[in-house]
Amino acid sequence: MRLSEQSRASNQMRYMSEATERADRIQRQLATNRRIDKASDDPTGASMAMQHRKNIAFEAQMRRNLENGTAFLNVTESALNGVTDLLQRARELTVQGATGTLGPSEKTNIASELNQVIQQLAQVANTNFGGAYIFSGHQTQTPAYNVSGNPPVAITWQGDTGQRVRQISAQDAVAVNVVGDTVFGSVFDDLMALRDNLNTNAPTTAINGSLADIDRALDRVLNARADVGARLNRFEATTNRSLDADTNLQELRAGIEDIDITETIVQFTAAQNALEAALGAIGRTSNMTLLNFLR
Amino acid sequence: MGLSVGLDTAVKALRAHQLAVDVASHNIANANTPGFSRQRVLLRPIGLDGSDHFSRDNLLGRAGYGVDAKDVNRIRDTFLDFQARQSLSSRGQHGAFAAPLGSAEVVFNDPSDDGISALLAKFWGAWHDVVNEPESAPARTALVHASTTFATRLQAAHQTLTQQRADLNLTVSSIAGQINAKATEIAGLNLQIKQVELNGDMANDLRDRRDLLLDDLSGLANIRYSEDETGAMTVYMGTHELVFGTAARTVNVVDDATNPGMVKLVYAMDGDDVDVDAGQLKGVLDARDVAFPELINKLNNFATGLMNSVNSIHQQGYGLDNATGLAFFTGTDASNIAVNATLMGSPQSIATSTGPGQPGNPANALAIANLEQAPNMLAGLAGSNLVVNEALSAGNVASGIVLSGGLQPGSYSIVANGANLDLVLGTTVVATATLANINPPGGTIAFMNGTNVVASINVSAAAPYSAAQQQADLTAAGNNTLQVETSASVFYGNIVSVLGADVNRAKGLEDAAGLLVDHLEALRQSVHGVNIDEEVTNLNASQHAYNAAAKVIATIDEMLDTLINRTGVG
Repeated sequence: MRLSEQSRASNQMRYMSEATERADRIQRQLATNRRIDKASDDPTGASMAMQHRKNIAFEAQMRRNLENGTAFLNVTESALNGVTDLLQRARELTVQGATGTLGPSEKTNIASELNQVIQQLAQVANTNFGGAYIFSGHQTQTPAYNVSGNPPVAITWQGDTGQRVRQISAQDAVAVNVVGDTVFGSVFDDLMALRDNLNTNAPTTAINGSLADIDRALDRVLNARADVGARLNRFEATTNRSLDADTNLQELRAGIEDIDITETIVQFTAAQNALEAALGAIGRTSNMTLLNFLR
Repeated sequence: MGLSVGLDTAVKALRAHQLAVDVASHNIANANTPGFSRQRVLLRPIGLDGSDHFSRDNLLGRAGYGVDAKDVNRIRDTFLDFQARQSLSSRGQHGAFAAPLGSAEVVFNDPSDDGISALLAKFWGAWHDVVNEPESAPARTALVHASTTFATRLQAAHQTLTQQRADLNLTVSSIAGQINAKATEIAGLNLQIKQVELNGDMANDLRDRRDLLLDDLSGLANIRYSEDETGAMTVYMGTHELVFGTAARTVNVVDDATNPGMVKLVYAMDGDDVDVDAGQLKGVLDARDVAFPELINKLNNFATGLMNSVNSIHQQGYGLDNATGLAFFTGTDASNIAVNATLMGSPQSIATSTGPGQPGNPANALAIANLEQAPNMLAGLAGSNLVVNEALSAGNVASGIVLSGGLQPGSYSIVANGANLDLVLGTTVVATATLANINPPGGTIAFMNGTNVVASINVSAAAPYSAAQQQADLTAAGNNTLQVETSASVFYGNIVSVLGADVNRAKGLEDAAGLLVDHLEALRQSVHGVNIDEEVTNLNASQHAYNAAAKVIATIDEMLDTLINRTGVG
C-alpha cells in the first residue's frame, strides 16, 4: 500500500504508544502485584474476587467473635473451677463439723471458716469480666447475687436466664454464658443454714444432711464445667475451620486478583524488548528518504 | 513546422513543468497538514487536432503542439471519506460513552481494601463487636464511627456520580457549540468554493478544509451530506438540514422540561428535538440519560434497602438507656444517608437488646449483624409480590416459588405474551413460560431462558386449571411481580460488576471502532496523503523536463542563429 508521510508518522506514533502502554500496564501490575485494578479489567473475576473478599472479612470477624467468646468461656471456666474448690472445702468442713466429738466452740470455728467460704463463693458468683457480670444473664450491669449482712444473712439471685450469644459461623450463634442460678441454685441458702446449724450446735444428723446439698451443688458445677469445656472445644474447632477457610479464600482471591510474578516478569521482558525493537525500527526507517541518495 | 512553433511548445513545457514543481512544493509544504489532499497537475498533450491556436495551413509536420497544464486536481476518494466518517461517528459515540463510565467506576474503587464493600464489611463487623460486648461503650462508639464512614462514603459516591452527570450535561452544550461553529464554517466554505469554481478554477484547499470539517462533524454526530452541481455541500444531521447551500441552520440548547436539570438540543429553525443515533453527542446522551441515572438509582436502592432493613430491626430493640423506636439511619437514599444524630450523641441508645432493662442482651444487635447474610436488599422497594401459599384463583394456590441463583436481583414483572407469560426486568424479557393446562393435584409453571429454568411457580390445583386462567391469574395486579432479593454485599457487588462489564464492553466497542478508523484512515492516506519520496521523484522528473525544455529553446535559438546569421551570408 502507498504510504503517506502522515500515515508513517501516525503508524510510528501508534507502534510507540502501543508498546509503551503495554510495558506500562505490566509495570503497574508488577508494582501493585494486582492483575485486576478496576472491575472493568475483568468483570467476572472482579465479581468473584469481591465475594471472596467479603467472605474473608466475614471469616475474620467470626474469628474475632470466637476469640472474644473463648476469653469469656475461659473466665467462666476458671470461675467454675474456683467454685468446685470452694464447694469441696465446704464439704470437708461439713464432714469435720459432723464429727460427734466436737464441742460447740470448735463448731463455731468451723462455722466461721464456712462463712468465709460462703463469702468467697459469692465473690466468684459475682465475677466481672470486661464490665459484665458473667453469671447475671442479660443483667450484666448488676451483680449476679446480692449479699446482705456481714456475716451474710441473705444472698439473693439478681440475674436472669438471658443468653449472651456470639455468632461463630454463618449458621451458628452460640451462648457463651452460664446462668448463675442454674449453677449455684440453693447453695448459698444451704451453706448459710449449715453455718447457722454449726453456730447453734445443731445435732450431727442435721449437719450431715447438708452433705447431700453440697454434693448436688458439686454435680451442678461439674455439669456446667463439662458444658463450658464442650463449648470451648467447639470454639477451637470452629476457629481452625475458619482459618482453613481463610487460607482457601485467600488463595482463590489471589488467584483472581494477583499476578503470577514469574509470568509477569517474563511478559515485562517481552514488552520491553518489543518497545526497544519498535523504537529501534522507527529510528532507522525515519531517516530513510530518497533525499539521502540524491546528489 | 516553423521554428517559432517549437519555441512556443518549449515555453509551454517550461510553464507546465514549473507548475508541476510548484505543485510538488505545495504538496511537500503540506505533507503534515491534517486533511490535506495531494495535488497533481493534469498534463495533457495538445494534439494536432486538439487546439485552435494554429490553423491547419501551418501544419507542416506530424508533431503536436506541446503540453497543456491548466488544471491542478486534488486526489481524493469520496467513497473512502464516506466510510471513514461512519467509523468516526461510531468511535465518537463509544468513546464519549466509555470515558464517563470509566470515571464512574473509579468512584466505587472496588475490588480493593478500601472500597465501599470493605466499608460495608467493617460496618457489619462493628455490629458483631457490639454483639460480643453490648455493654461496652468503646464498641458502640466504634460502631457509630464505622457506620458514619460507610454512610459518608455512600453520600460522596452519590454526589460524585451526580456531579459527573452534570458535567455530561455541560458537554452536551459544548458539543452543540462545536456543531454550530462547524456548520457555520462549512456554509462559508460552500460560498467560497462556489465563487472560486464559477471562474473555472479548482478550490482544492477549500475543499480539503471542508472535508476536514465533515470529519470533525461526523465525530460529533452522525451526518449525511451531498454535493450539488455548484459545489455546495448540503449537510443533514438527524432529521433536519444542518447546512443548506450557503446557509447554516444551527441547533439551540434549551432546558428539557421532561428531564429536570438537563438540557436538550433543538433545531433552531423549527424547535424540533435533535435526534441523533451516533457520534459523541449520542454517547454523551446515553451516558447522561441512561447509564448514570441507572447507576445512581441502583446506589439509591442499595442505600435504601440497607437503611430500611437495619432500621426496621433497630426500631424494635432497646438501648442501654431503654431507648426504643429509634431509626439507626436517617435519610431517604444514598444522597442523604446518615447515622441518626441521637445515636451519635448517645451511643448507649443503640438498640442492642430485644427487651428493656437487659444491658447484656445482644439479640437485637445480632439480628442486625446477621442481615449481612440475609437476602433482604429489596425489602425496601415497593411492589406487589407473588408469595408462596398465595391463592391465585378459586382452588388454585401458588404452593412454591423457586428462583435460580442466576437471576440478578430486581423486581420482575409477569406480563402476557400471546397465550404465554414473559418474565420482564425493566424492559428486558428475561424468560418465557409456555403455559399448558394443569390438572389436579397440580403442576409447575416454568420460566425458561433458552433451555434453563430461571424461575418456577409450583401450583396446586383442586380442579383442572386452564392455561388461560393461569395467564389471567398471574398477570393480575397483586400477583404479577416476582421479587428477587439478595444480600447487601451481593447487591452491591452486582452494581460494581455490571458497571465493570459495561465499561469493558464500551471500551471494547471504542477500541474496535478505533481500529476501523485507523484502518480507513490508512486507506484514505494511501490515496490522498503526501509521500515525500514521491514528491521528490516528481520534482526530479519536472526538473529534468524543465532543463530539457530549456535546452530545446537553446537549441532552437542556435538553429535560428544559424538560419539568420549564417545562412546566405557570404
